[in-house]
Amino acid sequence: MTQRWIAIPVLALGLVMAECGRRPPPPPPPAPSGPTAEELERMRQDSIARARARQDSIRAAEDARRSAEEARRMDIQRTRDRLLEMVFFDYDRFDIRPDQERGMQAKIAILRANPQLRLRFEGHADERGSTEYNLALGDRRANSVRQFLATYGIDAERFTTISYGEERPLVNASNEDAWARNRRVEVVITAGGDQLVPVAVP
Amino acid sequence: MRRQRLGAASALLLCAIAATLPAEAAAQDQIPGVRLGLLYQVGFRPGYALRLTGADPEAQTMATRIEAVLVRDLDNSDRFEQRRQLSPGLASEGTIDFALWKQLGVDWLLTGEVRSENDGFVVDLQLHDVLFGEPNKQVGRFAVPPSEARGFRMAVHTVADEIVRWIFAEPGMAASRIAFVRKGTDGNGEIYLVDSDGENLERVTSFGTITVSPAWSIDGTRLAYTSYKSGEPLLYELNLTTGREQQIAPQVGSNVWTPSYHPNGQEILFSVSRDDKSEILRYNIVDRCCLKVVSSTPRRDDMSPAISPDGSRMAFLSNRLNKPQIYVMPTDGGVADPVSPYDYREPGEFHAPDWSPVGDRIAFHGRMENSRGYQILLADASGRGLRLVQLTADGNNEDPSWAPDGRHLVFSGTRQEGTGLFVADTGTGRIRPLVTGLRTQVPDWSPSLAAPLRESLREPGH
Repeated sequence: MTQRWIAIPVLALGLVMAECGRRPPPPPPPAPSGPTAEELERMRQDSIARARARQDSIRAAEDARRSAEEARRMDIQRTRDRLLEMVFFDYDRFDIRPDQERGMQAKIAILRANPQLRLRFEGHADERGSTEYNLALGDRRANSVRQFLATYGIDAERFTTISYGEERPLVNASNEDAWARNRRVEVVITAGGDQLVPVAVP
Repeated sequence: MRRQRLGAASALLLCAIAATLPAEAAAQDQIPGVRLGLLYQVGFRPGYALRLTGADPEAQTMATRIEAVLVRDLDNSDRFEQRRQLSPGLASEGTIDFALWKQLGVDWLLTGEVRSENDGFVVDLQLHDVLFGEPNKQVGRFAVPPSEARGFRMAVHTVADEIVRWIFAEPGMAASRIAFVRKGTDGNGEIYLVDSDGENLERVTSFGTITVSPAWSIDGTRLAYTSYKSGEPLLYELNLTTGREQQIAPQVGSNVWTPSYHPNGQEILFSVSRDDKSEILRYNIVDRCCLKVVSSTPRRDDMSPAISPDGSRMAFLSNRLNKPQIYVMPTDGGVADPVSPYDYREPGEFHAPDWSPVGDRIAFHGRMENSRGYQILLADASGRGLRLVQLTADGNNEDPSWAPDGRHLVFSGTRQEGTGLFVADTGTGRIRPLVTGLRTQVPDWSPSLAAPLRESLREPGH
């Protein structure tokens, strides 16, 4: 049994040696010195793809940054718009109308998030009444906005007021629509507007 | 007899005019419980004739010019009717044919001679009472500068006021000016002045901002007003003679408006608006002291003081009963009585009071809740809102201010005749345009500007 297992390698060696005794084999085909054209093309494509991907990811990051910035800018703009929304009043009245309270709540949220903000409230009246009474009425309206904010704990010292009476109409006409638009308080940012922190307000 | 006939005829005429007004407009513009002034105020106007002659051709030309201004002034006074027909028998020398003048409907005859003197002219004027056949009832000598000189018209206005004083023993209003605000399209306003006859329109300020509430000082040399030129509404006083302006700064903060001079010449009353109210304060601008609160209502506006000629009381605007109404109270403070109409069912609003310099009448403007236009109303100071006359019924009429004669009012209006300033005569109801084609506000009629002229220029009659 053991003899047979030994005989096989010996026989195999003999065969190999017999082979060596014959003519030398033909030179192998020259070994390739680099990648094939095919491979090169593929590599080129890969590299382009990789560069593209890298670029894309940079661009995507840039876009994301930009759109975040844009979103923030929009948020700031939206916040600013809500802050500067005019407050409208009924004829010969200076109390905050129920339909104006949502706008006032937005102002409160923005002012709380932005303690650096300083505002001026400019009171206006429609043309009816008298020139002089309308000056007082505009002043009442501007103060009414200031007082409303104060009752929500916003420091009234952050605000100044001025009345322009009926002298600066928003709409230059003598009808109910024009009058309704002209009975207003305008909001002007006097300080802190460039550091406005956006606030999501309803 | 004659007065009755005229009265009846005028009443008929006015009824006819009233009947032609559109019923709806009349109903809308009339304030309930208030009588329309035009329907019962009838004035008798005596006839007059005026003839001035010149000592030489130059003086004759001057006489014609003076006559033109005088005739217009006397017409504006609404006290006379001019009889234009001149009797050929009239001569400045010799006797006056009173019977003939009477036939011509002339009650008062004015004759005069103009002559050159120094750099100007002198007018010797005689007033003859035709009804009583009394020649030279009044005589006066007046100096008048050449017609191209600045003071020419005012000197002649002084003569016109003297004629009114001679005949009616009442002050005239020809020698006076009206301060007002002309509004630009940008909403800014500048103060302008115009003579009582609509001449000499002149701009006073060039601030390029909001300026309101010009108020004449008692002596007619200064104007107080509120200007926004510093950014805040503050009170200033301009000396019209020197052109010097100063801030009247009683240390009460900003929002100072509706100034009104006290007749004592020392103090000024005005309104200060702060927080939740407007108060009326009194301040001595000569000694710069003695600030005092005259009227203050929590959460309400007291403003637009208008002081009585004796200085003891003031009319003012207050919305203490919600709507702006006119009240009267002592200038030392005290109880306020309403003088504008108040109707619980149909609340009206009333603004801009002005106290007559003669007597106890208060003018203001207002409307009932559902009417569009504002109308001029007159109330008795002691009337408690019960005795009222409505002077206008057409268009929109605001901010009345009394003339020094206590009879005429200037107001800012938008009427059929246009937009601008109008003068209403409370005696006859006549309304004439003064300045039109401008957007005007808050006119204030000066006191008589004739007094200093008369003292310095008029010599005793011969």
